[in-house]
Amino acid sequence: MQNENALIQQLQNKEERALSFLYDKYAGAIYSVILKMTRDEGIAQNLLQDTFMSVWEKANSYDNSKGRFYTWIFRIARNKTLNFLRKNDPLIQTDDFSVYDSKEATISKDADFLELNGAITSLEAHHKQAIELVYFKGLTHKEAHQEMDVPLGTFKSYVRQALKQLRTAYTKSISVVLLIFNVL
Amino acid sequence: MILDDGLLEQFLLGELDADENLQIEELLVSDAELKAHYSHLEQDFERLGLDNAITPPDFVKAQLLKKITDNIKQTKEVTLESNRNSNWLLGIAASIALLLFAGSAWMYNQLNSFKQKLEIVENEKLELDNKINTLNKQLNNELALLTTITHPDTEQYILKGNTLMPEGKVISYVNHETKSVIVNTERLPELDEAHDYQMWADVEGEMINMGVISKGSNLAVMSYIEHAESLNITIEPLGGSDHPTVERLVTNVYLN
Repeated sequence: MQNENALIQQLQNKEERALSFLYDKYAGAIYSVILKMTRDEGIAQNLLQDTFMSVWEKANSYDNSKGRFYTWIFRIARNKTLNFLRKNDPLIQTDDFSVYDSKEATISKDADFLELNGAITSLEAHHKQAIELVYFKGLTHKEAHQEMDVPLGTFKSYVRQALKQLRTAYTKSISVVLLIFNVL
Repeated sequence: MILDDGLLEQFLLGELDADENLQIEELLVSDAELKAHYSHLEQDFERLGLDNAITPPDFVKAQLLKKITDNIKQTKEVTLESNRNSNWLLGIAASIALLLFAGSAWMYNQLNSFKQKLEIVENEKLELDNKINTLNKQLNNELALLTTITHPDTEQYILKGNTLMPEGKVISYVNHETKSVIVNTERLPELDEAHDYQMWADVEGEMINMGVISKGSNLAVMSYIEHAESLNITIEPLGGSDHPTVERLVTNVYLN
């Protein structure tokens, strides 16, 4: 963490080396989110580059007392991607998710990049979907609960429960790691 | 309340509007428990993201870094532009320097021309000084002659021309006190260029040279000879002779 703060400081001082390190650390996670939202590798690559250009240019507006660096980049990427999708796909603006769904269906069949990995895969399907919609698809809570066709309150509790389970899973994995360290 | 509403999650994901964002930010500052919960949320979402990371192609990073380098270059070029501006200013400075140099050159020329003029003026002044000196000398001579002529002890003798010079006449002034002899040659007829008038003093039968009478002026200073009995003038070859040509004696006068 100390290291990351130093890197961010260097980034704010316009040191390219720092951007290179931070890119290596976070570009994969961000690219995954953008890719799942756009479902187009070319567009996702452009948006990823665009996101990190903003990270470079607006580094000074990041305040580490307000949140994690990753959260900051995630929000930039999400906003850029949503703006792009709104400009280029009028169907999304109509909130007509049936079109969105059918589009997804045609692409997702052979798109490996839509698959999820890690602890989220162990969640129950509706928990997993709730997280997927708000985190990887860029939908708002209001859009997502319509998408899942459940009341907003129910949807919110799905998200909350999903996160609680993820937390448990991550804490366990950390404990396992710590246990291994202790054994060693 | 906030936790139940899922507002923190929405805040994290960037779904909230500006006002709501600000409220949550303020709450996070004031509520440590909420802040701790939010930190966990952030960590979990980050972990979720990293678990699902997909490595983007290398060229994306290469392009990104190139773009940044180009931007930096552009910034430098802008700096260079401003350098060009300063070059422009340097140009103006150089022009001013050139003008000053041209001005200096012109002034140098002027100075030289003044120096030349000054030299001419100085030469003229020198000439005038010489003339004044000459005139002063002449004046002093004339004054000395006049002083001698008008001296109370000065005796005047008139030498009338003989048959060889019937029209001619010389007035001589002799002062035995100051031992000086001056002659007025105004009435001496002009001689050819090959001859001069020469004056002699007769001392006990011997003719002693008193000098050649100069042709330039009307008054001539001659040598004073002690015990002279008479003054004699002969015509001699140019420059005078050691002994008088008695045949060509043109005038004489006996002293008292």
